[in-house]
Amino acid sequence: MNIPLDHYLMLSAFLFAIGLCGALARKNAIIVLMGIEIMFNAGILNLIVFWHYRYFASVTAQMFAIFAISIAAAESAIGLALVIAVYRHYKSVTLDEMTSLKG
Amino acid sequence: MRSWFANAPDSILLWVSIAVPILFIVSVFPGIFAYTTLVERKALGRIQNRLGPNRVGRWGILQPIADGLKLLTKEDIVPRRADAFVHFLAPVLAVIPSVLLFAVVPIGLGLVPVDLNIGILFAFAISTASVLALFMGGWASRNKFSLLGAMRAVAQVVSYEVPMVLSAVAVVMAVGSLSTLAIAKAQSGGFLNVTRWFVFRPWGLVGFVLFTIGAMAESARTPFDIPEAESEIIAGYHTEYSGFKFALFQLGEYLASIAMAGITVTMFLGGYNGPGSGPGIFGGLISMFWFFLKLACMIVLNIWIRGTWPRVRVDQLMGFAWKLLLPMAIVNIIGVGFWHYITIRPLAWVVTTLWLVIWFMVLTKLAATENVAPRTYRYAS
Amino acid sequence: MELIFWILSAITVLGAILAITLRNLIHCVLSLILFFLGIAGHYFLLRADFIAAVQILIYIGAVAVLMLFAIMLTRHVTGDEGPREVLGGKWWAGMGTAVIIAGLLWAIIRKDSLAQTLPAGTAATSVAEIGKALVANWVVPFEAMAVLLTAALIGAVVIALEEVIRKR
Repeated sequence: MNIPLDHYLMLSAFLFAIGLCGALARKNAIIVLMGIEIMFNAGILNLIVFWHYRYFASVTAQMFAIFAISIAAAESAIGLALVIAVYRHYKSVTLDEMTSLKG
Repeated sequence: MRSWFANAPDSILLWVSIAVPILFIVSVFPGIFAYTTLVERKALGRIQNRLGPNRVGRWGILQPIADGLKLLTKEDIVPRRADAFVHFLAPVLAVIPSVLLFAVVPIGLGLVPVDLNIGILFAFAISTASVLALFMGGWASRNKFSLLGAMRAVAQVVSYEVPMVLSAVAVVMAVGSLSTLAIAKAQSGGFLNVTRWFVFRPWGLVGFVLFTIGAMAESARTPFDIPEAESEIIAGYHTEYSGFKFALFQLGEYLASIAMAGITVTMFLGGYNGPGSGPGIFGGLISMFWFFLKLACMIVLNIWIRGTWPRVRVDQLMGFAWKLLLPMAIVNIIGVGFWHYITIRPLAWVVTTLWLVIWFMVLTKLAATENVAPRTYRYAS
Repeated sequence: MELIFWILSAITVLGAILAITLRNLIHCVLSLILFFLGIAGHYFLLRADFIAAVQILIYIGAVAVLMLFAIMLTRHVTGDEGPREVLGGKWWAGMGTAVIIAGLLWAIIRKDSLAQTLPAGTAATSVAEIGKALVANWVVPFEAMAVLLTAALIGAVVIALEEVIRKR
């Protein structure tokens, strides 16, 4: 399998950019959290790509990836719980309407 | 089987090794599904003191074909305000994980479609993906009762996954590998290839019971069929499905239960091992025979339990999973640890059995919710 | 075998783009699931089997279901589709930042010379080695991860719990 490393790095950079665009440009809090998950996955893909091409005999990168995936899952759980709690108070999840700390 | 094609060029070998298992799985297991529905209806009928279907062929043999034709030609009704794309996709997503599960079930000595390094983990990952189909089916129908049924189904499936996976961890600890072929091979040997099955070990028996209960709850069968029983929330998440989509939901659910039965057989009942199974063509055929016999026994056990035990309530369901099965699965893991590290066999038997029995008694005492008064009987005078 | 790489990349990128541009939230989560499946496919292609299975188990089996639950609990009763415009006025800010970052990464990647293929003859790490590493060298992060997940579990339940006692 002769896929150059460049192709994989392009892919993960592109995915990271898509996730960033989603996290910055959407108004719905849940879609922002989805964008954050896309960014996480792009980063972990980058890690595994370098593991495959450089450090194939070691487990360190796989450890890092396992811990990163677990942390991402825990963070998304807390983020979604916060969204539910905020919805209960403001009755909406649109980020434009949460302006009580402004000014 | 690789030696049969040793002289063929490499590319043909690749395509044959991909095509043969796919054709086998796609033809054999839906056939088993079709006749499981027939056996189930006849067995339930007999348990309930009536005959099952017996009109369509002699003894109702052609009944599954008649059912299939009926469901194919029924009108496909989609509710007007339903989300059409998700409504279409949910039955498809119910079938895909069930078929993928057969990729790691060894049906004979060395006969597994894909020998993954992570076989059991792959099986559990795929079965957690089937939760999505339940939720999508209930959501897309735009029906409050469907949604409520879907929420209960998701809560049930997710709760029972945890003790199921933990009881499989005990087996993986004893074998030292996640590959299903390695788990089946570890149970070969012994007197008549039978005495080394894991179900004959204390931790294996507890694990078998926990895994079977979890597998029955995963595919919403038997005592745990709140998501789909007719007296509960109409029909739950597949209320608004008719015709072929309903048939796909049934196909997905039954195939999942057959695949989980196959994995139970592999992990606890020795897989393909039985008297006479061994290397070579003849031993391979005998091992396939033993696998399918054990699979049939597990399916009949499922049907038997469905016909005889009543349904649990939804709060009893949750309490059972989190308060009794999950601690018991953790205790089972510690029991496997004892079994592995105490090298004197009789002492290991005694210690492990005592550990499991004492914890079982403690946990049932702790998890008991109602103190029921002793039953009094009134007889007609 | 390069065709598989391009197909998987197309699936992954399509899933990611659809996840942030669709209007219906449930369709967004479904395309996010497609994205996760594409990433898991890439992990299988890179011979990281264990990470691929963990990806499917955690992301598709748990995170996606959690998002579906959160969407269900935060919608209006009548079930409308959400804001009228898909992207708010911040469309240009987001797109511009993304283009700048992509361009920077492109420039970095093009400049460096990287090894092209894998040296032959190296064996993949098996799950047994990962298991041993988790309890031998990496036991402190493993236990810390367990504590973190327990804290996240309890915290999420507490945050999302309804306040039953209003005034006392």
